[in-house]
Amino acid sequence: MTIIESPVQVAQQQTRELPPPEKREIVFDVSALTVSYGENPALKNVSLDVYKNFVTAFIGPSGCGKSTFIRCFNRMNDLIPSAVVEGTILYRGNDLYGPDVDAVEVRRRIGMVFQKPNPFPKSIYDNVAFGPRVLGMTDDLDGRVERALHQAALWDEVKDRLKDGALGLSGGQQQRLCIARCLAVEPDVLLMDEPASALDPISTTRIEDLMHDLKREYTIVIVTHNMQQAARIADMTAFFSVQVEDGRRSGVLVEYDATPTIFTKPADKRTEDYVTGRFG
Amino acid sequence: MRISLQEELDQLEASLQEEGTLVLRALRGCLNALERHDAELADEVIAFDDEVDETYVAIEEGIQSLLARQTPVAIDLRNVLAVLHINLHLERMADYCVTVAKLTKLVHDTPPDETLAEALEDMGTRAEEMIQAALDSFANRDVESAESLVDMDELIDAANRRVVHQILSISADPDLREWGLRMLLVSRCLERIGDHAVDIGEQTAFLVSGQFREFTDASH
Repeated sequence: MTIIESPVQVAQQQTRELPPPEKREIVFDVSALTVSYGENPALKNVSLDVYKNFVTAFIGPSGCGKSTFIRCFNRMNDLIPSAVVEGTILYRGNDLYGPDVDAVEVRRRIGMVFQKPNPFPKSIYDNVAFGPRVLGMTDDLDGRVERALHQAALWDEVKDRLKDGALGLSGGQQQRLCIARCLAVEPDVLLMDEPASALDPISTTRIEDLMHDLKREYTIVIVTHNMQQAARIADMTAFFSVQVEDGRRSGVLVEYDATPTIFTKPADKRTEDYVTGRFG
Repeated sequence: MRISLQEELDQLEASLQEEGTLVLRALRGCLNALERHDAELADEVIAFDDEVDETYVAIEEGIQSLLARQTPVAIDLRNVLAVLHINLHLERMADYCVTVAKLTKLVHDTPPDETLAEALEDMGTRAEEMIQAALDSFANRDVESAESLVDMDELIDAANRRVVHQILSISADPDLREWGLRMLLVSRCLERIGDHAVDIGEQTAFLVSGQFREFTDASH
């Protein structure tokens, strides 16, 4: 009996099974979300759940609303005057767009890393210490900076030159510095909008490895143009597409499923056409 | 549209169908050699296996290169995986043809039992039909036709069982005993070719549905 069972056990170990839906902890519960810039809806009627300690990827062609969508998760669209957000996003059960919600507190808990590394023109140390200082988290600031740099896999490269200017770092190092800057304020979620698209392949691999490590402690949401990157790193993948109605283009969520399903047997023909490169 | 990927996939499938045609020629060759006690034709079948092997290796290398460069996904990935498996099934079928040819050479000067020879020819014809049906169902993405291979396989299995009984009935005759034992293996080879054709049918169903399933359990 043992002999018969052992190959099955090995096979199960080799494939990382996602926990079943009932055992997943929901971090974001998005329901009927529509985002418009002025009259034009950029994203229409999106509903999905983002799970704790998962890497969730948003993929889709240009103009499908995926960047608009990720910006809703930490209220970055508040900064665009014409943006109107309808529907609800519950963050751990609380309405993210509720009247009493402090957008600054939202952005502390839900950090964001952008496509182009954007360190401040300050020292490496001051970049990481910036958030904690602003938020009054100054107990053991040196320890906090060191931990964040360790978590972002940058410590060994910069520990002897913390007072040097951040702009002297390479692109890949600058991006990891930006990740350290997010981590220094102890967020819950990391949003990444194409974090590796401006980086060389080696730096890209480091960022991907980092995401793999960080998801043990954080929930990660990533927008990527690179489908293979989504296939490599994401647990769940959402495919967005562009829908034209009355001459107006808006983004729609086509399919959301476990990443292996999206890349081996997607349910929707539009997803299959996109991931196999037959789109357009 | 990824033109180069599509062209490579088309090329792989064309090579696979070509390999299938070679296997059908090998099977017809070994069946004719068996029927005519033709050792020379049996030798040709054995040598012909090199052509099947060359096609097998070319497809294998094509898949290796495509996977390394094109990273296919979804239906393209399933197509490549199906071709990978079918390639191996066809190569194994050709190996069975070689075994039949070798067995034919060993007994070519023994007068056969006519009833048994006819039964083996009948099994061979069924195996040919199954290979053709397997290749066509894959080319046409026809799951229904692929599933019909199970019924065809039951007929060849039943014929195999009948042949075994017939061989047992002639085993008392010392002149036919060795021939009968060799033919037992021939029958087994033809029956196995049928099994591989069913396996090809399962790959067609996997390609279309994305879900691999055995058409029948191991008790069949």
